[in-house]
Amino acid sequence: MPVGETVILNNHPVLVPNNVHTVPLRAGIPYDIFVGNVGNTLDVPGELKAFQYIVLDAVAVSPPTLQAQIYVNTTRYFQNPDRTVSQGISGNLVPYPNGKGGIINFDYREGLQPALYISPLQTWGVEVTPLEDIPEYTGVNVTDANIAFCYVKYLLIDGVDALVAKALIDANWELSVQNIQKYKEIVVKNHIFAGTAELPDSISERKRRV
Amino acid sequence: MGIRGELYEWDLTGVNFTSILELPTAGQEYSIFSSIYGSSIEQTALVKEDKFVVINRVACKQGVSPNEYELNGTELIKWNPNMFVQIVIDTTGYYRDPQNLYHAGISGMASPYPVTVERINYYDLFPPVYVIPDQTWDIRFTLFNDLKKAYENGLFTTIKSDVILASVFVDYTLYDGTDAILARKLLSLGVPITIDTVQWLRQLILQNKGLDTETFDFYLKAVREIAKKAKEKRKLQGLATISDYDPS
Repeated sequence: MPVGETVILNNHPVLVPNNVHTVPLRAGIPYDIFVGNVGNTLDVPGELKAFQYIVLDAVAVSPPTLQAQIYVNTTRYFQNPDRTVSQGISGNLVPYPNGKGGIINFDYREGLQPALYISPLQTWGVEVTPLEDIPEYTGVNVTDANIAFCYVKYLLIDGVDALVAKALIDANWELSVQNIQKYKEIVVKNHIFAGTAELPDSISERKRRV
Repeated sequence: MGIRGELYEWDLTGVNFTSILELPTAGQEYSIFSSIYGSSIEQTALVKEDKFVVINRVACKQGVSPNEYELNGTELIKWNPNMFVQIVIDTTGYYRDPQNLYHAGISGMASPYPVTVERINYYDLFPPVYVIPDQTWDIRFTLFNDLKKAYENGLFTTIKSDVILASVFVDYTLYDGTDAILARKLLSLGVPITIDTVQWLRQLILQNKGLDTETFDFYLKAVREIAKKAKEKRKLQGLATISDYDPS
């Protein structure tokens, strides 16, 4: 961030060499990446419109001591075996960028399996929690190696495709690009067959009117 | 050539750097095709009526911190751009933020170019973006590390000619002629447009219609009939020329 600032709304900060700093993050405190008032944030949390679906594919963080937790409305995705909410998935497992510091995303290459679906009108977001304090770096000490990152990859399904997505969820199909296209193919095929089908007698035997 | 896998690389280098006006403003969006910066082509990418474009991948130079520059005296020899790229079709931006607003796009950290062992791409453009005929497509970059301000602050006075300040890579498939028509047919059927599906549709059409000459004969006869009637009409109207009376 530019010196003296801790948050930039709805954009990324414009940075000038030697006039930057990182915002310190305290251990054990969850920071919302959308509305957490730290870093590049948004006005409002992620909320889906009535004609949108989201398939959340992947999250990644750095440094390795940072953990990411996904939430949908009031429910958090990652849990401990004793059913308590955990702090999420760590940068050791899902480093960002992939390969940073020699750590490669090997176990989570496919992202979340199964992927997380977020339905219309649901609110969602990602919180990051440092396992240990991340100090402030200033001036020339700010490098790519000590900037904290969180990356979220999601598929936004909009408009007509959202209707198809609803039909797929109702039919208990996996929500993926391939399945949405497959479903549309089936709909088109059925319409073509419906057009060539024989009409019922009540219609075909009716007198034609000009 | 019906189907071509095309690559386009845009680079902003220090070649012929003479003034601050040759540097893009940080935080502002520019086209890699039609802006005055870098190796642009001075024209937007319009898809003509007999073409179809599928954008498969976009990537850009990685690096966030503005401090990761290197100098040789007062000459800049390395720069981190902190750049993002957005795909724009006509007036619509592809990437939106979680509050559904247009934003700068995908960063060089998520989709780096070039990919290195320490920077493996996380992001794939999937599903690919289709650009149909008569649409204009553009790739726009935004730099968030302020090169102009660094110059004004006296960080450097010159830029080494071969230093890459920013770069963008685009991978797209260009379908031309009849392949573009097949691509549009697939699009209307809701079938994904790939090289395989276009070739599959062509094979299917050839298998089903390739040996059938009846349709062609019918249309040939119909066209001759129409030409004959038009000639007779011109004669009746007194508009016929010498060629209309030519027995051949």
